[in-house]
Amino acid sequence: MAKDKVKERVNWPVTILLIIGLITIIFPLYMAVVIAFKDPSEMTNDIAGILSLPSTWSLDNFIEAIQVTDFFHSFMNSLIITVVAVVVSVLVHSLAAYAIGRNMDHKRIFKWSYYFIIAGMYVPFAILMMPLVKQTAVMHLDNMVGVMILYVVFYMPMNMMLYTGYLRNVPIALEEAARVDGASTWTTYWKVIFPLMKPMHATVAVITGLAVWNDVMTPLVIMGGQGVNTLPLAQMNFQTAFSTNYNLAFASYLLAMLPMILFYIVAQKQIIGGVTNGAVK
Amino acid sequence: MASTAAKVGSGRNKTFMAILIPVLVLFCAFNTFPLLTGFFYSFTDSKGYGAFNIIGIQNYLDLFSDARVLNSYLFTFKVAVVATLATNIISLMLAIGLSSKIKFKSALRGIYFVPRILGALVVGYVFSYFFTYIVPAITGSESILASTEWAWVAIVIVVVWQACAQTTIIYITGLSSVPEDVYEAGSLDGAVGWDKFRYITFPLIMPSVTTNMVLVMKDMLMVFDQIVAMTSGGPAQSTESISYLIYNNGLSGGQFGYQCANAVIFFILIAVVSILQTKFLNSKEEQL
Amino acid sequence: MLNTPITRRSLLGLGAAGAAGLMFSGCATERADGKIEVEIVSYKQEAVSIFEQLMDEFNAAHDDIYLNITSPADAVTIMKTRFVREDYPDVIGIGGDADYASFVDSSILANVSDCDTISKVSPAYQDILKSVTYVPMDGIYGVPYVANAAGMLYNKDMFAEKGWTIPETWDDMIALFDEIKAEGEVLPIYLGYLDTWTILSPWNSITINMVPSDLARQVNAGEAKFSDYYREPAERMLQLLEYAEDGPFAYSYNDACTAFARGQSAMFPCGSFAVPQILSVNPEMNIGMFAMPSAENPDDRIVVSGVDLQWCVAETCEHKDAVYEVIAFLNEEANVQTYIDDQRAIPCTEGNYTLDPLYDDIQPFLDEGKVLDYLDHSYQSSMACDAQIQTMLLSGDVDAFLEKWDTDWQRYNRSVIRKVQDYESQQ
Repeated sequence: MAKDKVKERVNWPVTILLIIGLITIIFPLYMAVVIAFKDPSEMTNDIAGILSLPSTWSLDNFIEAIQVTDFFHSFMNSLIITVVAVVVSVLVHSLAAYAIGRNMDHKRIFKWSYYFIIAGMYVPFAILMMPLVKQTAVMHLDNMVGVMILYVVFYMPMNMMLYTGYLRNVPIALEEAARVDGASTWTTYWKVIFPLMKPMHATVAVITGLAVWNDVMTPLVIMGGQGVNTLPLAQMNFQTAFSTNYNLAFASYLLAMLPMILFYIVAQKQIIGGVTNGAVK
Repeated sequence: MASTAAKVGSGRNKTFMAILIPVLVLFCAFNTFPLLTGFFYSFTDSKGYGAFNIIGIQNYLDLFSDARVLNSYLFTFKVAVVATLATNIISLMLAIGLSSKIKFKSALRGIYFVPRILGALVVGYVFSYFFTYIVPAITGSESILASTEWAWVAIVIVVVWQACAQTTIIYITGLSSVPEDVYEAGSLDGAVGWDKFRYITFPLIMPSVTTNMVLVMKDMLMVFDQIVAMTSGGPAQSTESISYLIYNNGLSGGQFGYQCANAVIFFILIAVVSILQTKFLNSKEEQL
Repeated sequence: MLNTPITRRSLLGLGAAGAAGLMFSGCATERADGKIEVEIVSYKQEAVSIFEQLMDEFNAAHDDIYLNITSPADAVTIMKTRFVREDYPDVIGIGGDADYASFVDSSILANVSDCDTISKVSPAYQDILKSVTYVPMDGIYGVPYVANAAGMLYNKDMFAEKGWTIPETWDDMIALFDEIKAEGEVLPIYLGYLDTWTILSPWNSITINMVPSDLARQVNAGEAKFSDYYREPAERMLQLLEYAEDGPFAYSYNDACTAFARGQSAMFPCGSFAVPQILSVNPEMNIGMFAMPSAENPDDRIVVSGVDLQWCVAETCEHKDAVYEVIAFLNEEANVQTYIDDQRAIPCTEGNYTLDPLYDDIQPFLDEGKVLDYLDHSYQSSMACDAQIQTMLLSGDVDAFLEKWDTDWQRYNRSVIRKVQDYESQQ
């Protein structure tokens, strides 16, 4: 009973500390927002000029950014790539992690497969880039499909690590019970294990989703110059060799951020939801 | 009975193999194969496109006598070690705070995640302003971005600022499998709480610590965007990371073959570092 | 020791055979409507609207050729990836820079000496383009279109108001700097040396006036050393620091543009390419440019100017006639004038052009052909020459700088030096 009471009490000191800590986030964010609203001619070289509010809160930069980046097309392309990459990653990586994680302690081939895949995390992209350009072209994958496949492969090592780590906390007894009931390994996985990993799915989805959403190099080299843009590709238009329109660029970055914040908030609910799940178990 | 169990067991194995093999094929096709191609290029003078010559191990010989490459390794490892420790300490504290019974939990978690969402250009630009104009105005000293001795600290601050978001949510996920009142105690009862944290919570989230140490270390060793956005490797080449050198000289600078050799060495080196790191952390896990 | 089992020639042969066999997409392919398509990929993303306009005009007037010009962001990376795919555009529009040199070196570009438009290109820019490649090439590998120039940008209104005149010798310029510094209202110059490439602008314009124009080639041929020539330019670079903002290594190119645009400094040692960024901060500003007065004799002053955009034809292109027709169209006087008005560029072809007021002070140099290419076009980008100059400016150690430069040059130019020496021995 007393325990429950402790649980319900709001921990104010921690809340207040965390709110104070927000300064480190809000301050740079404030600068980004202010710059996004300013006209290039309002940019100056001193503190007052940097921190001052824009002379008018006009949405011109945002409107122009939407036009320059062909926002809705680029947005849809980014969205399609991100959603497919995230969904496939969650399904495939968790499944692969299950196969590997449950066997790596006693079967050599799984153990080596694990280290083999994890090692892929340390391959610098720059070395893969040119060979991949050639390879995707030969395979007719120099398009959005190719980009999605590459993401599923690129984030496999990290996600494998996250999922296998989480699986260690999922008791093996649960699936053994299902097996005794006659369920196949395949069914057991989807019915029992997959739902249990919900908090990790949300985490993987957020991390993979953001990395994909913001990535510029992969689409640039694989499908660049074909007239099909993702948002980060379109945002490169603000930067030419000798001039950068930071004001437009920032406006467009803030626009591109919004869906990710919403996505994160939704995913957070899943992570918090996972706590109650864990309590039930 | 025994034969049924064996049958079930072999069915289970078949399923596992049926999962493993396609995944490995996919991985090899788009990671291992291009890596081997890159490995081949490390024995050439290729620019990444067009005609090239095979020059044997010349690139590797050159690497070991290249002071610039050596400096980039020293810089990268210095940043990686400091930033990994700082990120993990800050993130763990944040994660514990954000997992306690606090007000505005969702909003706070949301805002603390913002740095991960912002692109490198925004972060780099905002922090350049911060270090160029705001910090010197407060401290009255020259900008650390202009100092060959201290510019690396600015890089550390920025990468830690950005890396904490992701690290924190991995810790939060890890903490979500620990009963709430256990880790919350750490922040409530002072010294007793600290001990509780040390002896109860910390061991429970040790797997997350391992994961985060390895992941953050890897991200830090591959630091690239923030360097491009803040210092472009300067002043006087004091902040050139290995990835920066590989990318910049390999693709823009026409040294693709040479930098492939650099990438191969780098790959082997960080793979070894992370294996040692994992071994060490795993042994700690078992001790606890 | 440097055994090369696969020779360059045999590899090229293999590559050509492979390209012919695979043919991902031909060059100047015939379209469904029977027209020949000419594809141009240009790296001048900022000129996208001009080219779209020219493209529409061309297509309206031609029923046998369809012209398609694209100007993607980070076009050079996109070009390189297309080369890897062996999917060559018919024409690439790039500068006369290190990328061009390396494309020529990789045998990607075709000899265009049979293009009629070449005869319209002024000799100065033909020479400048020739000086870019690692080894002297017999053919011509690009049709220069427009150029840019570097020197000292200055605030015209401020100069008029204060009655300052344009210095013609180094001492005059330092005297002017001293005067401005003594007045204390504005800085003489703003540098923005955080971005290392910004350092190359003053370095190029100072040095070009003080060293033999073919110094790099002399060094590659083993006939000279940089340390014999680069000491004075290095000392002048150090001298500039006294007249700029405090701690210029903390400020970026953007900061410098902003400061100059806002009248914080009277001058900015940079090039015409910086003008759009400056005007974005202060659209009303009157900017001028004068030649860096670092020559001993004012009459010998040289303006740094490089080919900013040229048309290079892919070796694989099969419809050169159609391509040349497009190039001739783009080089029609009216079309060039449209381009240079919009982009504040200098035409590379001879004709009756009106230049942007920015070039008023250097027009005589352009007319007389007293122009030479950016020195850094002959520097290997992997040698990071800009960072080496930055290191020298930070430490003030000219001796170490000169020594390292000569050593590194030998190392980073090993293959070039070999090529040059092969070339010279064949002569």
